[in-house]
Amino acid sequence: MIETVNLSRKYGQLTAVDDVTFKIGKGEVFGFLGPNGAGKTTTIRMLACLISPTHGTATVAGYNIQKNPIQVRQSVGILTENPSLYENLTAYENMDFFAQAYGIADPADRQKRIQELLEFFNLWDRRNDKAGTFSKGMKQKLAIIRATVHKPSVLFLDEPTAGLDPESAKEIRDLMAQLSKHEKCTILLSTHHLEDAEKLCNRVLLMNKGRCLLIGKPDELREQIVTHPIIQIDLTQITNKILQALNNSSHVQEINTKPQETSLMISVKDIRMATPEIVKTIVEADGQILGVNTFRASLEDAYLKLIKGETETQ
Amino acid sequence: MNVHNAWLVFKKDWLEIKRNRQVLMPIIIVPLIFSVMFPIIIGIVGNIPDANVGNNQDFNELIPNLPMDIQNMLADMPPNFSIVYIMSVYMFAPIFLIIPIMASSVIGSDSFAGERERKTIEALLATPISDSELLLGKVLVCFLPAMAVTFAAYGVYMLMIDVMTFGMFGMLLLPNITWLIIMFGVTPVIALCGIGLTIMVSSKVKGFKEAQQISIVLVLPVIGLMLAQILGLIFLGPLMLIILIGIFATIDIAIYYLSIKMFQREEILAKQ
Ligand SMILES: Nc1ncnc2c1ncn2[C@@H]1O[C@H](COP(=O)(O)OP(=O)(O)OP(=O)(O)O)[C@@H](O)[C@H]1O
Ligand SMILES: [Mg+2]
Repeated sequence: MIETVNLSRKYGQLTAVDDVTFKIGKGEVFGFLGPNGAGKTTTIRMLACLISPTHGTATVAGYNIQKNPIQVRQSVGILTENPSLYENLTAYENMDFFAQAYGIADPADRQKRIQELLEFFNLWDRRNDKAGTFSKGMKQKLAIIRATVHKPSVLFLDEPTAGLDPESAKEIRDLMAQLSKHEKCTILLSTHHLEDAEKLCNRVLLMNKGRCLLIGKPDELREQIVTHPIIQIDLTQITNKILQALNNSSHVQEINTKPQETSLMISVKDIRMATPEIVKTIVEADGQILGVNTFRASLEDAYLKLIKGETETQ
Repeated sequence: MNVHNAWLVFKKDWLEIKRNRQVLMPIIIVPLIFSVMFPIIIGIVGNIPDANVGNNQDFNELIPNLPMDIQNMLADMPPNFSIVYIMSVYMFAPIFLIIPIMASSVIGSDSFAGERERKTIEALLATPISDSELLLGKVLVCFLPAMAVTFAAYGVYMLMIDVMTFGMFGMLLLPNITWLIIMFGVTPVIALCGIGLTIMVSSKVKGFKEAQQISIVLVLPVIGLMLAQILGLIFLGPLMLIILIGIFATIDIAIYYLSIKMFQREEILAKQ
């Protein structure tokens, strides 16, 4: 559905997007992850034919972004970084304008579609209020409605949950999940919230400083980057005997202790195999266990580790 | 080019402008002042019989430029009559050209620079509406209201002048051929010129305030015209007006090509 080849964009000397190549299949929910200035918005703008690449090319929904920009714009919907709503127009007027701009000529079709979406996002009651009076979350929802009003086959969402409280972010996330099912469109979203990526995306692309670092399923990424899960064991007291016993255990990869705390952070290869063995080892070394917790590395750890590694190598 | 899309952009912009006091106030108040204040001034001056101003001194330079039959007619009339005549028919005519310039630059600044400043432009540019449709829609939203308020101002002014002066001259002074040429010939070419320059200024500045301030210098040439006429340097008769129309139309065409170059998606977004 979306395919880029060496997509690049320069602003003067600065390379905002550098040789990015990827493919997104039909119906996929694909995430762009990356810190501020990574080039997510610039990539999305190029794919939505808002700016042109300085090098490379892409096809979106079967159209080349350089040769058929109008057709590309017709088949994609975009939630821009700013909600971009006309604050002096009502919610309904905003949607009505964009529905017509995207070519829904029949007033009855338009009304039906707008009502359906506004109801879906619980904004129908507020349709006659000016968009300027809406809260940030409501504006965001309205902007998502605008992006989907013409039933695009590809949807670009630039930071759909940015600046929202956790509850609204979750609401938007749920709505996006429903939307991808309900409207069956291919979604490309950019985000800083790894939760979005983990809960919504089939695959993610990690980018930094314009370059693509990794593409893969969220799970794969996590496992690829952070190799070892961690067991946290709280004890009444940490003795040398315990540490020695653990160091001799074949299941233990690395032991970390937090200063002033009687907890051990033990990285292991396989949690299922290692946990009972380690507990047994500690008990045999006269340790008194208060609690055992296991952690799988989160995507966030993976993300931070990768971004950090990237900056350090430079 | 799909005219329907341009019209859609026009309707959207117009809806916004209708609700924006900052834009609406100047384009209503200035024409109102011109069309009501000027006749009142003329009325006051005309009612000072044989006053100091009555010796024609202010218009000494202008009178020889008038057509012969008018000069003869005025020669037989009391001096304050000729003052009323000259003020009504000639003096204020060029000042009205400030209205289309002012209105189109106020609306244009809001529609071009304002839309960029409020960051609503990105979603608009993401639609399948083409650059030229967008440009046409936005030019229309500057042009039509600017022409409407200018014609309204002409209408009110001419009505008041005719009501006031019919008793003096026994005929309707306005509209005469000069005014008709100004209304239907000069006003539209000047409005287009104002719009074109506003588009160019808007693409160079950050916000609509700046665009408005810069565009307002466009009224200077108009004030220059008025002064030049009072000083007798030029006379805005039909011939002169047709020359003016030619000059502005040429400028319009040049500006048209320039603004099409400047009004491109790429440029607009890169500016942010
Ligand atoms: N119009 C522009 N002119 C000059 N430089 C630009 C422009 N737009 C973006 N850039 C630069 O390109 C780089 C990538 O920006 P971009 O907005 O794509 O990042 P992003 O990943 O979306 O960041 P964020 O998470 O903060 O939104 C940045 O260094 C930015 O300064
Ligand atoms: Mg961004």
